[in-house]
Amino acid sequence: MSFAAESHVLVYGIAEPLGSLYVPKMVAYGTPIVAGVSPGYGGQVVAGIPVFDLVEQAIETVGSIDTVLILVPPYEVLDAALEAMAAEIGQLILIAEGVPPLDMVQILREAEATETLVVGPNSPGVIVPGEVLLGTHPAECYLPGSVGLISRSGTLTYEVALELTRAGIGQSIAVGLGGDRIVGSSFQQWLQILEEDDRTEAIVLIGEIGGESEEMAARYIAEAIDKPVIAYLAGYSLPKGQPMGHVGAVVTAKIAGLGVDVGTIDSKLTAFKQAKIPVADRPSKLPKLVQQALDKVRT
Amino acid sequence: MDLLEYQAKELFNQVGIPVLPSQRIDRPTDLKGLRIPFPVVLKSQVYTGARGKVGGVRFVENTIDAIAAAQAIFHLPILGKYPKVLLAEAKYNADREFYLAVTLDNATRRPVLLGSQYGGVDVESHLDQMRQVVVDQTFSPFYARRLALMMGLQGKLISSVSAVIEKMYRLLVERDLDLVEINPLAVNVNEELMALDGKITVNDAALGRQPALTALVAAIPNPTLTYMPNCGVHLVELEGNIGVLCSGAGLTMSTLDLLHKAKGRPANFVDLGGDYRHCCPPNVLQERVKQGLDLITQTKGLKVIMVNMLGGATSCLQTAEAIAAFLKWQPANRTIPPLVVRLVGSEWAAAQSLLAAMEIPVYESMDEAIAQTIGLASTAVKVQPGQSKSSLMLASA
Repeated sequence: MSFAAESHVLVYGIAEPLGSLYVPKMVAYGTPIVAGVSPGYGGQVVAGIPVFDLVEQAIETVGSIDTVLILVPPYEVLDAALEAMAAEIGQLILIAEGVPPLDMVQILREAEATETLVVGPNSPGVIVPGEVLLGTHPAECYLPGSVGLISRSGTLTYEVALELTRAGIGQSIAVGLGGDRIVGSSFQQWLQILEEDDRTEAIVLIGEIGGESEEMAARYIAEAIDKPVIAYLAGYSLPKGQPMGHVGAVVTAKIAGLGVDVGTIDSKLTAFKQAKIPVADRPSKLPKLVQQALDKVRT
Repeated sequence: MDLLEYQAKELFNQVGIPVLPSQRIDRPTDLKGLRIPFPVVLKSQVYTGARGKVGGVRFVENTIDAIAAAQAIFHLPILGKYPKVLLAEAKYNADREFYLAVTLDNATRRPVLLGSQYGGVDVESHLDQMRQVVVDQTFSPFYARRLALMMGLQGKLISSVSAVIEKMYRLLVERDLDLVEINPLAVNVNEELMALDGKITVNDAALGRQPALTALVAAIPNPTLTYMPNCGVHLVELEGNIGVLCSGAGLTMSTLDLLHKAKGRPANFVDLGGDYRHCCPPNVLQERVKQGLDLITQTKGLKVIMVNMLGGATSCLQTAEAIAAFLKWQPANRTIPPLVVRLVGSEWAAAQSLLAAMEIPVYESMDEAIAQTIGLASTAVKVQPGQSKSSLMLASA
C-alpha cells in the first residue's frame, strides 16, 4: 500500500462530469495527480493535468503510476480497470455506484492474479488527511492524526471523521470499502494494512447490517490485530429486508429462502463482543472510546 | 429485482432449459382459449414463496372449474399481494425433485453453483445436503459436472443435470442476474428433467444494459426493485410521525437508528444517495431535495421532518435554498410540518441565516438535530411555513 504524497496518481475519466468536479478538489488538497485518461480527450489539459487516450501513453510520457482513480460511468469501469491492470498498475480505486457485480467478478479475478489492490466500487475512496485525497471525501471533515477509519459507507465515514475531528482526534487514513455486494478490498485487508502502518495507533471499523464482512473482520481482529479496534454499526432499526442504496446482503439473504440468518445486527454485535471489540452506539460516542484506546496504547 | 415465475420460465425456454407448455392468464375468461390440454395447474404469479400452502396453486380438470379456480386465485392475497396474472401449466408426474441454483457469493466474490437431491419443499429441512462449487476462474462445464457428482448423481443424470447447470450459468452471465434458481427440478421415471418452478433475480444496477429484460418486466409493477438505475427519488414508508431526508445509505441508517433509540418513530425516509452516482450530478441535487420533501410530505400525520445532509459537492447554502424554495412554492392550503435541518459543509452560516428567517433551526451536530426532532415529534401542533414556532422550540429545549 502506498498512498503517500510522493506516489503517482492517474485519474481515469478525468474529462467525465465526476472528474471535472472532483479533480480540482483533489489537486487543491495536494494529491499527486500526474496524468489523466479520457478516450478522445488526449492532448487536452484538465485542471492543469495532461490528458491521454490510453493508460500506456500516459506512462510513456509521465513515467510509472502507483494508483489509478477510476471515475468513469459504471458500465465502463470494467474496461478501465482491465486497462490499468494490463499496464501493471498496482492500486485501483473505483468510485462509481452501479457497477454490475459480474463485471466486478472479472476485475477481481484479474486483480487476484496480478496482486492488485482494488478499493470499491460505490466508494468514497481513500483520504490521508493533510496529504492525499483520492475520491470524494469532504476535506473539512478530516484532521491529520493517528486513527485509521475503515468503512462500508461514504457519508457515515464523513460523519465519524467529523466527530473525531471535533474532539481533536486526527486520522491517519480513511477508506470506504464500498457499499456494493461484491467489492474489492475487505475489512481484513485494510486491518492488516493499518496494523503495519506506523502512523496508525488505533482503528475505527464502521459497519452496517447485511453480509457477513463484519463477522469475518471480528474473527480476524481477535486472531491477527494487536492495535485497538473500536466499532460502530448502522442499521439497528431497519425493517428486515429493507433495500438500501447499499445492497449488501439483501440478495444473499433471499437466496432460495434458505433461512440462513446472517448479517443481522445481533449476529454482528455477538461477533464483536466475542472478539472483545468495543462498539459505540452512536457516532458521537466514538471520540471517548477512541481516546481511551489511544491513552492505553500510549502509556 | 425478482422476476415472476412465468417471466423466469420464458428465459429458461430461450436458453433450452426444459419447461412445461404453459400460458399466461391475464383474466379468468382467458381460460376459454386455453391451448394446453387438461389437466392443468393454475399458479398465482406473486413475488413471494409459499403460495401453494395458502391456495395459490390449484389443479383443474376442465374449463368451468378452471375459470372458477382462476377467479378465486385472482382474489386471493398472498402475504397481502394480489396477483396481476396467473400461469396455466401442464401437469407433470415427478418421481424425484432436485434443487439447483447459480448465484454470486459475497465472500469469495465469485459465482457459485448450488445443488441438492432434496428439492421442492424439502430443501430447507435438508440444508446439510446442499452442495456448492465456486466458479473460481473462467467457467467451463467441468464446474457443473463437479457439482453433479458432489450431489451424488450417477449415470446419465450427471451429464443431463450438468447441462442444465451450464445453461443456468450462461443465463446468469449473459443477462446480468443475481440469482437463477430451479426448485424443483423434477426428474421423472425415465430420468427426464423438467424445471417446474423457477426464480430469477435481476441485478438492478445492470438493467440499463439489458433492454430485453427491461421490456420483459415493464408490464407489471415490481416492488422488489432495490436500485434506481435512473436515479429517481424513492420514498420508503415506515410507521411513525417523523419524515427523514438524508444523503447516503450509511448516514440514513444511522439517522433512523438514532431517532429510534430516542423513542422517535420515522414515518418514512428518502435517501438522496451518495456522491458517486453518475446519473445525478450535484447540479441536480437541489431539484432532488425538493422532490424528496414533496414525497415525504405526502404522508399523513407527520409531526416533523428531519433533513440530514453531509458531504457532497453541494454547499450548505445550496441545500438550504432548495428547502426554502420547496416551502415557498407550497399552495396556501397545504400544511407542512416543521423542519429540523442538519447541514455540514461550506457556507453553513449563510444557510443558517437563510433558514432562520423562515424559523427553521439549522444544526451542525447530528445529536442536537435528533433531540430537536424528537422534541417536535412528541408535541401535537402542526405549523405552517412562516408561522412562528418559537413556543415549540422552547418546549423541546
